[in-house]
Amino acid sequence: MSILRSRQGYSALVLPVVLLLAWQVLAWRASTPLFPGPWQVAVSIWRLYPQIVGQIGYTLMRAAAGFFVAAIVMVPLGILLGRLKAVGSVLEPILDMLATLPPPAVVPIVMLFAGTGDAAKIAVIAYAAGIPLIMNTYEASKTLHPMATLVARSLRLRRLETMVFIDLPASLPMIATGVRLAVASALLVSVTAEMLLATNGIGVFLQRQQENFQIANGLAAIAFISMVGLIVNDLVQRLERRLLFWHYRSTETQNDR
Amino acid sequence: MGSFRLLEILAGFRAIISFLIIIVTWQSIASLGLVPEKYFPSILAIAAGFRDMMMSGELVSAELRTISRALIGVASASMLGIGLAVLGDLFPSFRRGFAPIAALVQPIPPAALVPMAVFMLGLGPKLYAFIVILVTVWPPYFNGVAALASVSDVQIRTGQMLGLSRWQILRQIKLPAAMPEIFAGIRYASSISLIAVVVAEMLAGHDGLGFLLIRKAFAIRIPEVYALMFVCAVNGLIMNTIVNGLRWKFAGWQSRMTGQAA
Repeated sequence: MSILRSRQGYSALVLPVVLLLAWQVLAWRASTPLFPGPWQVAVSIWRLYPQIVGQIGYTLMRAAAGFFVAAIVMVPLGILLGRLKAVGSVLEPILDMLATLPPPAVVPIVMLFAGTGDAAKIAVIAYAAGIPLIMNTYEASKTLHPMATLVARSLRLRRLETMVFIDLPASLPMIATGVRLAVASALLVSVTAEMLLATNGIGVFLQRQQENFQIANGLAAIAFISMVGLIVNDLVQRLERRLLFWHYRSTETQNDR
Repeated sequence: MGSFRLLEILAGFRAIISFLIIIVTWQSIASLGLVPEKYFPSILAIAAGFRDMMMSGELVSAELRTISRALIGVASASMLGIGLAVLGDLFPSFRRGFAPIAALVQPIPPAALVPMAVFMLGLGPKLYAFIVILVTVWPPYFNGVAALASVSDVQIRTGQMLGLSRWQILRQIKLPAAMPEIFAGIRYASSISLIAVVVAEMLAGHDGLGFLLIRKAFAIRIPEVYALMFVCAVNGLIMNTIVNGLRWKFAGWQSRMTGQAA
């Protein structure tokens, strides 16, 4: 059994190793600093990691700020729209339209109102993170089980109480999906926003490397971005499993039956 | 069927109503002067900006470039994604080896790729194809792998009983069964593809809608910027329509069987 497992482990390693080797061979044959191989990238990572980690810190802080702004505004708004059916159904096409607008396209407009400082970047990130949050929250609270509303009525809850104690918890599983998408897009957009509205952060670091023709350094930064993205996405998934254990438990027992 | 039609018509009206509401609110904010008019032009000014860009031809050529880049990218990414998913289904060791690569490449933002890729690929179609494919191949791939693995055993056994070869089972049973989920992935991929293309055009600074947006913004032609944002949003709708049409062709069996509209 253990032999079988270790053999499976090896076979999982074969493809990445082959690809890395092929890349290295191509880089050797090209032998130009504009096409570095994995070795040069590793050297760059070793040389520059304190700087890269510092810059990614700025980026992550901005991504987090944008995400929380979006969550504080969009989740209550989504529940409200789901409750007030008339308003919701009129605004739904507008939301659909905003969802098709790529977040970087709002950068020029944000620039007019908020300049190029931190506020502007956080606004762009909040817009990008806000769309999946409001779509999922609205969808969840709109399609709430009618029984929940009846329970709220028989408990004589007021409208606001219903939204806080019934709608919000019942919508949480779908909001969690929205959160996952929102976190991913906050990370993506924070790098983009930094590149377009430059001051500091990993996006600016990347651009500076490009201007100095340091492709290996740029690829080192990309490697860090991808690791951070991987870790953050994994953390969000774990957190979701832990906080929404009741949801997963109930769906699992349903599947067992 | 009749009541269904009626609902559809009402839904169409709803979109028109909400569109009218946007226009009225927008116009009243603009004409009340709540926001400086320079930053928040009236609908008429935006329409005029749109017309100017249409007349000069720059909008049409940028739009054609952007949408064709996104379409070509998504089409090849979908094909590649399905191909990789089939490979993963045939050879589990390929799937396991590909998993860490996918996990690492997937979170890379398209914006981060542009500066490096410009050096290796130039500013031509290769750059856009590379970026769009690298960003959009994952949803069709992951959905495809998951869907191919979960095709019901009964269907596969039926195929074996009918004497189909492994290849025939894949082509005639597994792939059609997986198509609805694959198309859900392609739908998501098509929306990211537009983002990736616009970002790449903004950063590469050569042509296309993204470039036009940045240029108009720096020239402080605000009505044009709003008009371009509107075009970007419409592009999303165009992509959605195309993908839905294709889904009807390739995965229509599901909607027909379950009796729901696409």
